[in-house]
Amino acid sequence: MTEALLQVKNLVKFFPIKRGVFRKTVGWIKAVDDISFEVYKGETVGLVGESGCGKTTTALTILRLEEPLKGQIIFEGKDLSKIKKSEMRKERKNMQIIFQDPYSSLDPRMKVKDIIAEGMLTHNLFKNTRERYKRVGELLERVGIPAEYMDRFSHEFSGGQRQRIGIARALALEPKIIMCDEAVSALDVSIRSQIINLLKDLQEEYNLTYLFIAHDLSVIKYISDRVIVMYLGKIIEIADKREFFSNTLHPYAQALISAVPVPNPDYKKERIILSGDVPSPADPPAGCRFHPRCAKARKICAEVEPELKEVKEGHFCACHFCAE
Amino acid sequence: MLDSGKLLLAVKDLRTYFFTEEGIAKAVDGVDFEVYEGETLGIVGESACGKSVTAFSIMKLLDYPGKTVGGEVIFKGENLLEKSEEEMRRIRGKEIAMIFQEPMTALNPILTVGFQISEALMAHFKMSKEEARDRSIELLKKVGIPLPEQRVNEYPYQLSGGMRQRVMIAMALSCDPSLLIADEPTTALDVTIQAQILDLMRSLLQGFKGALIMITHDLGVIAEIADRIAVMYAGKVVEYTDKRTIFYYPLHPYTFGLLTSIPRLDLELPRLNAIPGVVPDPLHFPAGCKFNPRCRFVTERCKEEEPSLVKVEEGHSVRCWNVERVSKEAKEGLLVGEV
Amino acid sequence: MNRTLKKLFSNTASLIGIILLFIFVIIALFAPLIAPPLTDDSYQIPRMSWEVNPQPPGFPMSEDIRAIYDYMGVEVRYDKAIFGTAEGGYDIFYGLIWGTRTAFRVGLITVIISVLIGILVGSFSGYFGGWLDEILMRITDIFLSFPFLVAAMVLTTILGRGLDKVMIALIAFGWMGYARLIRGSILATKEETYVTAAKALGVKDVKIIGKHLLPNTIFPVMVQATMNIGSMVITAAALSFLGVGAPVGYADWGQMVSFARNWIIGAPGHAGQYWYTVFYPGIFIVLFVLAWNLVGDTLRDILDPRLRGEL
Repeated sequence: MTEALLQVKNLVKFFPIKRGVFRKTVGWIKAVDDISFEVYKGETVGLVGESGCGKTTTALTILRLEEPLKGQIIFEGKDLSKIKKSEMRKERKNMQIIFQDPYSSLDPRMKVKDIIAEGMLTHNLFKNTRERYKRVGELLERVGIPAEYMDRFSHEFSGGQRQRIGIARALALEPKIIMCDEAVSALDVSIRSQIINLLKDLQEEYNLTYLFIAHDLSVIKYISDRVIVMYLGKIIEIADKREFFSNTLHPYAQALISAVPVPNPDYKKERIILSGDVPSPADPPAGCRFHPRCAKARKICAEVEPELKEVKEGHFCACHFCAE
Repeated sequence: MLDSGKLLLAVKDLRTYFFTEEGIAKAVDGVDFEVYEGETLGIVGESACGKSVTAFSIMKLLDYPGKTVGGEVIFKGENLLEKSEEEMRRIRGKEIAMIFQEPMTALNPILTVGFQISEALMAHFKMSKEEARDRSIELLKKVGIPLPEQRVNEYPYQLSGGMRQRVMIAMALSCDPSLLIADEPTTALDVTIQAQILDLMRSLLQGFKGALIMITHDLGVIAEIADRIAVMYAGKVVEYTDKRTIFYYPLHPYTFGLLTSIPRLDLELPRLNAIPGVVPDPLHFPAGCKFNPRCRFVTERCKEEEPSLVKVEEGHSVRCWNVERVSKEAKEGLLVGEV
Repeated sequence: MNRTLKKLFSNTASLIGIILLFIFVIIALFAPLIAPPLTDDSYQIPRMSWEVNPQPPGFPMSEDIRAIYDYMGVEVRYDKAIFGTAEGGYDIFYGLIWGTRTAFRVGLITVIISVLIGILVGSFSGYFGGWLDEILMRITDIFLSFPFLVAAMVLTTILGRGLDKVMIALIAFGWMGYARLIRGSILATKEETYVTAAKALGVKDVKIIGKHLLPNTIFPVMVQATMNIGSMVITAAALSFLGVGAPVGYADWGQMVSFARNWIIGAPGHAGQYWYTVFYPGIFIVLFVLAWNLVGDTLRDILDPRLRGEL
């Protein structure tokens, strides 16, 4: 786990807010604002945060499904932010994504076999159709769907099965890293654990690396090796899972953990109820972006934006007082 | 056991079917539970298990093709299913109020928040406009909305998701109902906002003489707020008991399965005990026990004969043929405890 | 798809539409049997007399014309004007039967080519957006700003008389609706996750349009196109009526109506004397347009996602 498979350096992605007849840009949604992190080979990095924190944009920008405004995306030593679009299309073989919504992520007018074969066809992985479909059958069986269902359309499957098809589509290219964008959030409780187990098994089998995006800390705790917490376009804490859950440093991360409802009637926890809502990413607060909701905020928090500092080995935190 | 107050609502063998083009969907097909004053009943289950349809059936808010075809809903001693639409209108909002999952669609986008709260007050209590407005401001303050004098004149789109849900709660509380039904009230919200809303609901319950029915898919939410729990699967209540018993001594394989399959913040789990199979489609429920294709305790009997909801001990009913075996394994296999 | 067919056949209105269309197809296919041509140019309407005045239904071929065919050595297998003759002795029945083929040709060709142009413009415009969208949509706006019938008439006049020129004019001013419709649906559909998924697989843009976007957006266009086939035939007929359409004597419904232009009222004291010159061509046009509209209407009911509820 020493080799960085993916390095994100000072990544910035803003979306223009356009108004009026001439579509003039009147402001920017600062979805991802100068973030840096690394993903090592074979690990699962959990990227957690609430809606609007920029976690999905981060994944899409790494894949250049959204063009980054600034920053570098270094994958296996190659800077993806600078290469041409046609070259990027080839790189996508190595980096795949699994989406949240199992319904809208599969084309309703395509058969399952063609959905899964599309990537193989694009990257010329097999010589002929027969071999390609044979591989589709293997992949389907691997994700737990009988191969003979490959001639069906996606609407004949349940949500969990569709998610399995989405996983097979990503696996078909034998990628090195898979971004799981809230891949289990839309699923029913009893189905969620099936998919989590499947993702874990596949990781072991194919030596996959995951960037696992979720808002549910219980899932993050179960599946990740390391945790990254985002708030309003910024990374506020990075740590190994055990370290993160036992020694949470950032006040926001602490509040986030305490907010998770635990299915245990005797679970005693410190209840931190944050006041107010997440501010708009179009107009984030000055200084530390969390300071208007932070119980520990002092004068400096409203003025100076804290940097992400390494507090302990491998434990980074962006708070003026996290060393205390 | 709980020290129960007066019986407020008793649902007996409720059946609501949807008559669709493809066939009859038995969305609710045997729901029994009781709600006592001062307590919170949690209804937990996955999508299409019939938990929301149960709520809508109690309120008689279902439209074609949905129809309640059997059972009783005894509210304060009277069967709501026999009430006329006119009588129901007087009960809805005043006696039984509902909080919905998606506050944006449940609120009218072109009317101010204040107007929407006042409306019910003026209708049910013949309040004047000014009285209703003052009461609205008071309610908004009660649900923790800052600057209520200002917010009362705003439109739903000007509020955040959490604020809208607070407004929904204020509306539900406006007529002092004796029963509050909350249908996944925090599902659409972020975790920290969910915590705010749950906290608010808990504090409101402190002084609440009525009862709350909390419908959710989240066992964590249930653990935080409910006193008594009904677990639903495929249109039926499969287990019904108090909170501690559900978490410590579950007797239905589905309840047991759910508890060991979810990722936990309070525990380090080696591997999730996933329940195999798919959530059944209400149009094609299996024969026998509806859970039998996914159950690891399954016997021949389960495939043929449907068990009924049986009281195994005081305050604990289960719909299963293999209660003893489940009980034995649950005692060994459950990882709940003081943490 | 089975559901679509089932619905098409279970609805009375659409059933009438389908039966009417079927009859028209039969007429077009078996035109040589129903009205056997007398010369090599089968679209040329035979004349039954040299009279300028229309002749009533059942009028037999006049002796002098029969003599010409006999002289040419043509076997006259068709010698009675069942629906009467139009101005100049042109046989109405023959003109209508062979005109059915013309109607199908005009309707289908103009609509298919317009749809293709619309798809091309609309999908590129919607998918790529930006300056390409601006340019293509402004061009569309310019074409839309001309009144359809007037523009088509002017263009046909410039290009010269003839059915092919009419079709060119109809296509030139008929594609914009489809372009807008396709663009709108593509703008909505390209936000679907499966499109992002295809991009993430590295699929090229043109393929994404062809394999994902068009199959998911084409149906409203098909509905629109089906309904427009009828109105294209009406416009073509109008152009013929105005004298810029098919050449004189060509089997075309518009031509048949235009023959009736001077005879609609009838002779003084004999109102409606020449009713058959208007009635038969009119009935054909009305039924043809009605058939397409009924079928299009039902298609829309079936495919409209708001009415459909589920996929």
